Amino acid sequence: MATIRTRSRRREMLLRLSAYLVILVALVLTLFPVYWIAANSFKFDIDIFAVPPEWLPRNPTLKHYEEAFIERPFLRYALNSLLVAAGTTIVSVAFGTMAGYALARFSYPWQWRKQVSFWILSTRMMPPIVSIIPLYLFFNYFEMLNTKSALIIAYTAFNLPFATWMMKSYFQDLPVELEEAAMVDGDTRWGAFLHVALPLARPGLAATAIFCLIISWNEFLLSLIITLTEQSQTLPIGIAGRVTQYKTHWGEISAAGFMACVPIVIFAFIVQKHLVRGLSLGAVKG
Amino acid sequence: MLESDKGTLTTPPRMGGGLERWAERHLRILMLAPTVLILLALTIFPSLYMFYAAVHKISPNPDLPWQFVGPGNFARLLSDTQFHVALRNTAVFTIAAVTIEFLLGLGLALLLDRFIRRLTFLKTVLMIPMMLPPIAVAITWKIIYEPQFGVLNEIMFRLGLPLQAWAGDVNLAMFSIIVADVWQWTPFIFLLMLAGLASLPVEPYEAAVLDGASSWRQFWDLTLPFLKPVIAIALLLRVMDALRLFDLVFILTGGGPADRTKVLSLYIYQVAYRFADTGYAAAISLFVLFVTIVLSTWFMKRMRLAE
Repeated sequence: MATIRTRSRRREMLLRLSAYLVILVALVLTLFPVYWIAANSFKFDIDIFAVPPEWLPRNPTLKHYEEAFIERPFLRYALNSLLVAAGTTIVSVAFGTMAGYALARFSYPWQWRKQVSFWILSTRMMPPIVSIIPLYLFFNYFEMLNTKSALIIAYTAFNLPFATWMMKSYFQDLPVELEEAAMVDGDTRWGAFLHVALPLARPGLAATAIFCLIISWNEFLLSLIITLTEQSQTLPIGIAGRVTQYKTHWGEISAAGFMACVPIVIFAFIVQKHLVRGLSLGAVKG
Repeated sequence: MLESDKGTLTTPPRMGGGLERWAERHLRILMLAPTVLILLALTIFPSLYMFYAAVHKISPNPDLPWQFVGPGNFARLLSDTQFHVALRNTAVFTIAAVTIEFLLGLGLALLLDRFIRRLTFLKTVLMIPMMLPPIAVAITWKIIYEPQFGVLNEIMFRLGLPLQAWAGDVNLAMFSIIVADVWQWTPFIFLLMLAGLASLPVEPYEAAVLDGASSWRQFWDLTLPFLKPVIAIALLLRVMDALRLFDLVFILTGGGPADRTKVLSLYIYQVAYRFADTGYAAAISLFVLFVTIVLSTWFMKRMRLAE
């Protein structure tokens, strides 16, 4: 008996050890590329090209940040990204919250609730490339190419289904009794939503908004097609523009790329409790 | 969840004016309408418009009228070898990347579940890749793959292995794209599987242990069936994302070398904007849309996601 127990304890130890080892390896593999882009952004060009690579920047410099954000219009791009992301988020969360609430609480004839939910989700599955041609022609017709409003409209198509499903799942988690109580106390149906359900759903609302910000901030393809001018292009487009067939401006794109990542990492930690739900469109409750 | 008609309380006691009363009565429609109308305008309308574009030959010159060609653009799909290459590349990428991500993510979740459950901070750090802008991920891997001064070739050199052109090599380009995608998206599967494992009921396992079931049997007969809904969601979302792959390819290879990484999204982009053949691009887009709808509907119906 004693030997069995020591053997199983040793097995447990071994398992624990290998698990921590795997976690360590995963951490290194996860973080190295992020570290590497950061490290390169602080190197002089000659050190970026060094063979063997310079694992730690020996001569740290802010030269590439100056190049990107002062000499070249990356500050403008970042501002555009921010404005478009904020606009998209406001529109998507406002309408998505109402629709999510309606789908979570109201009943509709002929199984509409199910059908509409399903249809809204399926629009999220649509690949952006599929809609770029009509969107391009549409924005061209209304002379909206190269505008931030065009980007906001296009991004809303992909953020609204997301926001609706997220908020639907948060509202479904709230007990309906509190709203009923408010209505018994004389509040209207709308009032119950506004004064009772909405405040309770605030954490979910914040998480949904942050996810919308991330999705819009990261978006590339639609912006690539809709915007061609400095005044309207977003950060990813600005970065891609510095990768050409003839020359890649490594230092500059590293600096801009790293800067594009920083807010995302901060956001990731803010929404860490909501990650599972956000990434599964509310289908899996983490 | 669906059957319960919670919240359909009628006639609230106090009411304002006529308009307010009208709005209150139709609240369930009014709250849903903006979203439905916006999505109709942004998805259904473009799809219909694309049908219209796909049966025309559209000149790059906007002053020339569209020329009706009927099913001509769709017929071209059959004979266009570039399209077939793009189709095959997309299939290869989707199957390879999603399979690797799934096996790695599930394996890691099973191994680490007990140990990482309370390490929230660590878990979030591991999730960073999938949140990052795909363009930033692409340039990061571009630096790593760089043949002359890239880190990967330095490692190959130290190990005494032959140096490679990676994303620039005919045989390794697709592999390089897949590796970058696996780096970015394995955390997604890992995270969802951890969530699934955390919600497993305890009793069946206690019974299984009493019955002397091996851990292998427990995995096949209990864990896997319980995880099925989560697995289905994870795979659905990953497959849909893999089908729309664009950013990584655009930066890392531009579709080359020798079209080895030319995927459908990139091909549509090229047809529409480099060759300015909008009508044909619309036909390919409709094909992709059709495939997506069939796949996602099948998935969602099967797992009854809408419920």
